[in-house]
Amino acid sequence: MPAKRVIPCLDVKDGRVVKGVNFKQLRDIGHPVELARRYDLEGADELVFLDISATLEARKTRLDWVREAARQLGIPFTVGGGVRDLEDIRNLLRAGADKVAINSAAVANPPFLEEAAGIFGRQCIVLAADVARDPALGWRVFTHAGKLRTELGALPWLERAVDLGAGEILLTSIDRDGTQDGFDTELLMAAARLPVPVIASGGAGTEAHFQEALECGADAVLAATLFHEGRLPIPRLKSFLAEHGVLVRL
Amino acid sequence: MITLIDYGAGNLASLEGALDRLGLDHLRAERPDQAAPQGTLVLPGVGHFEAAAKALRKAGWWHELPQMVAGGRHLLGICLGLQLLAEGSEEAPRSSGLGLLPGLVRRLGPGVKVPHMGWSRVRARLAHPALPDPKGGWLYFVHSYALEAGPETNYVAEHGRSFAAVQGRGRVLGFQPHPEKSGAFGLLLLERALLWTGEGPRGPREVACN
Repeated sequence: MPAKRVIPCLDVKDGRVVKGVNFKQLRDIGHPVELARRYDLEGADELVFLDISATLEARKTRLDWVREAARQLGIPFTVGGGVRDLEDIRNLLRAGADKVAINSAAVANPPFLEEAAGIFGRQCIVLAADVARDPALGWRVFTHAGKLRTELGALPWLERAVDLGAGEILLTSIDRDGTQDGFDTELLMAAARLPVPVIASGGAGTEAHFQEALECGADAVLAATLFHEGRLPIPRLKSFLAEHGVLVRL
Repeated sequence: MITLIDYGAGNLASLEGALDRLGLDHLRAERPDQAAPQGTLVLPGVGHFEAAAKALRKAGWWHELPQMVAGGRHLLGICLGLQLLAEGSEEAPRSSGLGLLPGLVRRLGPGVKVPHMGWSRVRARLAHPALPDPKGGWLYFVHSYALEAGPETNYVAEHGRSFAAVQGRGRVLGFQPHPEKSGAFGLLLLERALLWTGEGPRGPREVACN
């Protein structure tokens, strides 16, 4: 068994790291590569950059900071946000991203996953899914940064995505994102049956929340604000997890 | 001068970043005639065995690499690069490997998540002049197939079963993990391997020679 991974997430808008609550209220926190370097040195196992820039111009310039991240980081990283076609994937991988996260484009056109995995290998194709619970229908998939509800049930979609070629799932609970009330452990338990690694995202507030998510079957845990604001330093989190019997890289 | 074999299947940017941090000179070569006239060859690789073998054949590397090694060059394989050095892979049953390392590459599992993605510990099995005792050090892996551990395996790792994490023979050394993505320990391994192949840091050595 590989170690459970701790992954800081950097939401990047127009070349700056920002963070919102429930996908809203953005605040500027710093330069992506500077922050990433800090996390690398603190013992983060991996990084996720989600580019939430709206303009085509900003999407193009992101390759500059992706290149710089590849040069400066000694740990792997994933880049997502607005990945629409094979050219986007090729550019990000060539710039030095280890994995690419695909969200809305996979929902709109599921065979895109298959095509991408066929060309680049499934190990670099991460399916990002934003999920919220509907009282009547259960977990539903949302797209477009959590704004658009789709007709897809979360678990059938994840299973299909894995069949098509996703090598990893980045599973965000919209209900919990930014609340610091803990991860959606029921969702994680259901997703743990998938044959590929699952990254739990949304809701981290305390060390115990991370432990809970990992014990519910998540392979990795992701958070942003908690790390960015320095409220939970990564070394402290990893020592806590190790003391509680979770296998982590120290 | 380190030659990075650029056949469209590998994260060269990260590898170059790591070599820069080590202060080692490197260049990219798409074809054998673009390789540095001497120095270490590095075969990176991500993706499908067959596709990679095909690209290497097309560029002329498949034919040249064994001869370059026989002629005295050192060759490091990383990830799929290591697998291509083996005798063959279950991923491409009709194709053979370069045969520079003994053993076959087999699919991981069943009973574990595949790909094996993340940090795993390595243990020493057979001493190698380039490699320190890993003392349970962590390295970053991303792969679905692995070289079977054998008598010439230097480091082993586990994912469902033991497999060869690092294996060398003569002037050839293969890494299944990504040392360039494995933090300080990975960088140390990369440095040791390249010092062993005869590469040296730029600045200090030149100063010493003056």
